[in-house]
Amino acid sequence: MPVTSVVSSDGKIRTIKIGGRFDFAVQTEFRECYCHTRPEDNVKFIVDLSGANYMDSSALGMLLMMREYLGGNAANITLTNSSQDIKSILTVANFQTLFSMA
Amino acid sequence: MGESQPSVPAPADNFEGKLALGAQSIKVLVVEDDLPNRFILQAILQKQGYEVIHAENGQEAVDLFQRDRPDLVLMDIKMPVMDGYEATKRIKAMSGDVFVPVIFLTATSEKDGLVKCVESGGDDFLTKPYNPVLLQARIDALMRIRDLYSTVHRQRDELAQHQKRLDRERMLAKRLFTNIVNNGSLDRPNIKYMLSPMSLFSGDILLAAPKPSGGLHAMLGDFTGHGLAAATGALPVSSIFYGMTAKGYSIGEIVAEINIKLRTILPIDMFLAACVVDMDHVTHKLSVWNGGIPVAVIYGAREKEIVRRIHSRHLPLGIVDDDTFNRRVDVFDMREGDRLYICSDGLTEAQNPHGEMFGIGRLEALFETNREPESLFEEIRASLADFQAGRKQQDDVTLLEIAYEQAVLEDTVGWTEAAQGHNVVPPATWSLNLQLGADIIRHLDPLPVILQSMADLQGFRGQRQYLHTVFSELYTNALDHGVLALSSHRKKTAEGFAEYYREREVRLANLKQGFVNFRISHAPHAAGGELVIRLEDSGPGFDFNSSPPTLDENRGNSGRGIQLLRSMCERITYFGAGNIVEVVYRWR
Repeated sequence: MPVTSVVSSDGKIRTIKIGGRFDFAVQTEFRECYCHTRPEDNVKFIVDLSGANYMDSSALGMLLMMREYLGGNAANITLTNSSQDIKSILTVANFQTLFSMA
Repeated sequence: MGESQPSVPAPADNFEGKLALGAQSIKVLVVEDDLPNRFILQAILQKQGYEVIHAENGQEAVDLFQRDRPDLVLMDIKMPVMDGYEATKRIKAMSGDVFVPVIFLTATSEKDGLVKCVESGGDDFLTKPYNPVLLQARIDALMRIRDLYSTVHRQRDELAQHQKRLDRERMLAKRLFTNIVNNGSLDRPNIKYMLSPMSLFSGDILLAAPKPSGGLHAMLGDFTGHGLAAATGALPVSSIFYGMTAKGYSIGEIVAEINIKLRTILPIDMFLAACVVDMDHVTHKLSVWNGGIPVAVIYGAREKEIVRRIHSRHLPLGIVDDDTFNRRVDVFDMREGDRLYICSDGLTEAQNPHGEMFGIGRLEALFETNREPESLFEEIRASLADFQAGRKQQDDVTLLEIAYEQAVLEDTVGWTEAAQGHNVVPPATWSLNLQLGADIIRHLDPLPVILQSMADLQGFRGQRQYLHTVFSELYTNALDHGVLALSSHRKKTAEGFAEYYREREVRLANLKQGFVNFRISHAPHAAGGELVIRLEDSGPGFDFNSSPPTLDENRGNSGRGIQLLRSMCERITYFGAGNIVEVVYRWR
């Protein structure tokens, strides 16, 4: 499974790990990882990109959709472990203004 | 094509139901020259509810098949006139796409005979003595296969139709897109560009337009969200870009407007990465708003290398609300011959036949090794073509080069006219008054509104560039030196310039009182018209009776100022404390 999700024991932190290509093909699986959480649950999401070797603009779109679903500004999403390439894609798009980066 | 489909709905879920339905309308052709055998088969089949027709030899079978198009054939092998093998071959050929199973009736299970049955196209065998249950089971199985075949063919045909329609729509969209978006506006001596066919389809747009009083705006945009985002967004974006540029709006205002529009019409996961520039030949500056475009650089003519990199500082357009939107632009100096390059990631991600990407390294190397700036664009194009040689797939490569050439940037009359279209109104008598208080001065540039109203009233074809300059000078003086009481002497140095504008921003933001009133009247005059423009500002005025040098220092700005107004207008007169100015502008 290119997209996996684990949740902490108290249910407050959910980590989504992307493996391989982060593009439109994983749209449904990615959405599955967050669409059962409600904005008011105040779950912190971590998107772990360490396994991702490719990311395109449709992936940026998926991240935006996730953020909007989880409450927009109220959403707590951190993007972690991006490779140089992916980091530069996120930086050029200035996504650090919308997501925490780690 | 006689497709003999049983007129039944899609296969029922239960086996019995299927049996019942199937048996009702299936037509079986029995080809058997031995009468007793034929009777036995006929009896079994009819008892099971099948409709039966019969033939005595291969030729009759073929003829009957042609005429009656049975759903299934039971074929004997040894027959006079034409045997079962030949008849089967012909029947299979005739049925084409429709699957008509042929069950061979054999008396033996000899290997050779069976092989020949299969080779002729037969689908199954039945040996004597005929077992009715076995026969029924086999017929049902074959009918299920037949249904499967017909479903697949139907879906294939539907798909082909869809595909054809999609292709047609895509072609149409591309044509519309090109007509609407390009508009011939990139056809300028100082502009070079690459916009491959795939680019348009994948959502890259390239726009350029003259500013009313010279210089230009340009934009390279990259829609995400597949062709759909581009199809939805391209028209409003280009419309806003061209419209607002023609009216004299700044690029900050233009991107803010586009952002609102796209935020409204596109879903959250679709947006427009864009780099919008303002190349101004008066201030020798390039203003840039870059949201999401990775490659934008200035190539120095003198240095023959990249002198400035224009980083993407903003989120792409269509993501955040207007209140969060940042319209700040970066400003860069440009000298004669310097070149601006912007490209989409289609260029850096263009692949060769081995799947390697062109990459930013290769592009930078080209900038580095170039000796003749004039041919740099061609060098990039050639290098890309070489790199991609042999690759079948088209990539969406979009590249824009704009050279800072004073003469070309100044000369926008022809360009402007083409962009504005025809608008001839005979000179008429009208007047326009506008009183602007501090509140509105603080947050709005009134010139586009005024100029547009005037254009709506009188057209002013061919004049707009000059009128924009005149109004710009008058209003800047009235606002900066009158209402904001700024002194222009600081503008004589580069740092002073920056200081001046910083101070101006501060004073403008804190403005609580003040006004600028416009009184504009127009009447026919000779072969054209005469425009009298009167501005009154709430400032202290100045001593306009003293000699011209003082005039320029206090009221003019470094550069053109009053001299320019004098050259364009019939006369300039000051009234009151010097806070009222009136110019007369004549046109033909």
